[in-house]
Amino acid sequence: MENANALPKVSVYPLIGIGIVSGLFAAMFGIGGGVVIVPLLMLLTKMPPRIAAATSLATLLLTSMIGAARYAGSGHIDWVAAAVIGAPAVIGVLIGIHFQKRLPADWLIIGFGVLIIGIGLKLVFVL
Amino acid sequence: MDITLITICFAIGCGIAAGMLAGLFGVGGGVIFVPTLVLVFAFTQLDAQATSLAAIIPVAAVGAWRQTNDDNVYWRGAMIMGIGAAAGVLLGAEVATRLPDALLSQVFGAVLILSGGEMIVSASRRLKAKRASAPSADQHRP
Repeated sequence: MENANALPKVSVYPLIGIGIVSGLFAAMFGIGGGVVIVPLLMLLTKMPPRIAAATSLATLLLTSMIGAARYAGSGHIDWVAAAVIGAPAVIGVLIGIHFQKRLPADWLIIGFGVLIIGIGLKLVFVL
Repeated sequence: MDITLITICFAIGCGIAAGMLAGLFGVGGGVIFVPTLVLVFAFTQLDAQATSLAAIIPVAAVGAWRQTNDDNVYWRGAMIMGIGAAAGVLLGAEVATRLPDALLSQVFGAVLILSGGEMIVSASRRLKAKRASAPSADQHRP
């Protein structure tokens, strides 16, 4: 299996660029930025999907902390709600990583794509 | 937040689903958190986004820790992207707090539609490439 520490060194510039774009997305839309990071890493740095997904999570840790700190100052965070959805998600992430090794990833991505298009359509048109 | 048994069950279900997506695809789960908070808990878009970012912290922490144990995290890249992301986050927050909430929500919906489309196209392309190369793999080799 691929090992992230054995990868050829990736140039700094695409990484900084991906970081800035993902940070913009994170703060403007409250998503971690992973939907931007993973495809861009695979496209621009030829990173294998599994490494890209794992590295994206590590970046999101920094992004979400800075983003939450920024919004916490202006009182926009409901910490109870964050705990209510965040705690089960921690269980979910362990399940997801466990199954990442044995599920047909591309079919799951297609299913996920259909799901978020549905949610997107609802947000755009049913307001 | 108006807490009932149903909304709690819904939150737990969405939380687990979001976490699984995070583990599987390396996204933070915000694409599920934000619509859940807006559509189920009637949060404003801005509050949902801010709360989603807070909920992502433990998910990303546990996910990154678990993946580091498997040698899957390219930390040098993650740190460099994190520096870029810090700049992007501060800029994005300035924009988000100034935009009207309904517009922010619709732009978020549009982003979801686009990224969903991108995922479907790139995944089908990989599936097609795999199918094409599988039976005739020997012919391509010298």
